[in-house]
Amino acid sequence: MNNKCRLPLLIALTLVLAACGDEKNANYTGMGGDNGALPNGGVDTLNPNDAGSGIPPSPRGNFNPNDADYQTLAEDTIYFDFDKSTISGDQRAKLQAVSDWFKANPGDSLFLAGHADKRGTPEYNRALGERRALAVREYLVGLGLPAASLYTNSYGSDRPAVDGDTEEAYAKNRRVEIGVIAPKP
Amino acid sequence: MAARLIFPSLLSLTAKPTVIVKLFSIRLPVLFFAGFSIFLNPQVHGQGVTVEVSTLPRVGVSINGPLGGGATEIVSNDLKRSGMISPVGSGSGDYLATGDASESGVAGRLVNKKTGEDVFNQTFTGKGRLAAHEFADAITQSVTGLPGFASSKLAFVAGSVRTQELYLADMDGYNARPITHDGTISASPDLNHDGTQLAYTSYKSGYPDVYLIDLASGSRTRIAFFPGINTGPSFSPDGSRIALTLSKDGNPEIYTMSTDGGSLTRITRTRGGETSPSWSPTGDQLVYSSDDRGSPQLFISSSSGTTDGSDWDHLVTGNSYCTKPDWSPDGKSIAFTTRIGGQFQIGVFDVASRTAQLITSNGGEDPAWTRDSRHLVYSNDGRLRLLDTVSRESLPIEVSASGCGEPTVSR
Repeated sequence: MNNKCRLPLLIALTLVLAACGDEKNANYTGMGGDNGALPNGGVDTLNPNDAGSGIPPSPRGNFNPNDADYQTLAEDTIYFDFDKSTISGDQRAKLQAVSDWFKANPGDSLFLAGHADKRGTPEYNRALGERRALAVREYLVGLGLPAASLYTNSYGSDRPAVDGDTEEAYAKNRRVEIGVIAPKP
Repeated sequence: MAARLIFPSLLSLTAKPTVIVKLFSIRLPVLFFAGFSIFLNPQVHGQGVTVEVSTLPRVGVSINGPLGGGATEIVSNDLKRSGMISPVGSGSGDYLATGDASESGVAGRLVNKKTGEDVFNQTFTGKGRLAAHEFADAITQSVTGLPGFASSKLAFVAGSVRTQELYLADMDGYNARPITHDGTISASPDLNHDGTQLAYTSYKSGYPDVYLIDLASGSRTRIAFFPGINTGPSFSPDGSRIALTLSKDGNPEIYTMSTDGGSLTRITRTRGGETSPSWSPTGDQLVYSSDDRGSPQLFISSSSGTTDGSDWDHLVTGNSYCTKPDWSPDGKSIAFTTRIGGQFQIGVFDVASRTAQLITSNGGEDPAWTRDSRHLVYSNDGRLRLLDTVSRESLPIEVSASGCGEPTVSR
């Protein structure tokens, strides 16, 4: 009756990892390619079969990221679970507030700055921060904001909001801050 | 039942036949879930710790000349840090290393005391301490058959969490000096194999871009600045290409490009994020971390650009969080960072047997192989350490900088 080989079970255990919530694309069909501001003078390698979101990538704007104003929408910083880039339900009201603010302030752009807590390797955290910023961007596009006005960047774990090694500090550092870029005068 | 099945393979692994010189210290293999074993090895801190060595070849070191005293100390220290040689006084030993050290270099000689014959008689001309390191490496190569790494270059980042600069140092920690003064985030340095060039990530422009530094001239070129993140460069073995992470096509994916910035080739195409590519020694494969299946795992792909995933090879390490792989120069092992019980440790994946082992127990991140494919430089809590993956002995690399991380070693 004894199972002769438990190795497959052990291997399977390692594979039982919660898959990322996959809510992509549901609202966004038809968004791809409608933005003429492709980077690098229009030369890019977007592929229609790309597994990405279908939203054109965020170009680099004609501004210094360090000049983004994070005060105006400071209340609307989006927080994430450890090692996750999915936007949880309790964060969505803030994104609605961001969307409302944006629509009341035409001409401004938003700078979505993704961050990770300090745990883990710096490179993985840099990619994680980027995916958090992209997830927020995608969500805002779904609320009707123009992709061309939504810039992203990732600071990985190199720009913590709070110092310290507590779970409270970590939770405050796993975030996307919403910066405002005012139009050039 | 499971233990019966797993133990024999672990035991056979720990008795690697490839090890030329055996080191004996207490090892207690402990079974860990899903095939991981932990070796509880009393971590060694600080200086002056004697390792139980019974069969290490002993080399007497006695160098004369104007700089003889310093050179003797450097060579002895290097031989000890090789983990494969026991440096002893000049009167005893299986070999005797003598020489003459001056400003112009070290004239070094190694004699096999059993046969009385010269093993080599050679002049080393590296600048300053480098000549003595070169002599030590020649001794290590002759006595053990494995290349010494004392003359390798070490690069790393150091500073506060918000501002990090790039540093270069000798492998024993001496001559540590910053080579950037940008006041921004510098990250993920990678030295090319001969140590002449350094690629890294900098936020100098406000965004993460990849730069190439020619170490002889000091010139710096920005080679990847696509929209999104440009980060985590890794030199191909021949130095002509770098692999890196770009998010220009939607989410972080692995690409390769030539070091002059051209011929971009996409390697991965997933919904997850891919980071930290590292080349196989033959250059035809890349190992990297991907969280496409939930949490980060290690994968190997061809480096030629098959993005349909058909050639993906998932390395089952037995742990759900595996990042920052580094492929050893001999191709046999892949070191990586893993998360166990909330702590970060270093694991090594054996390519032939496809099994993984934890090789630290007191924490560690960002491992980088030295040229002997036996030692790893890594960081732990802002400090750099040197780990002998055979004896599991970990020694500090003391550098005059704090907040150190992401070490890389020339080969």
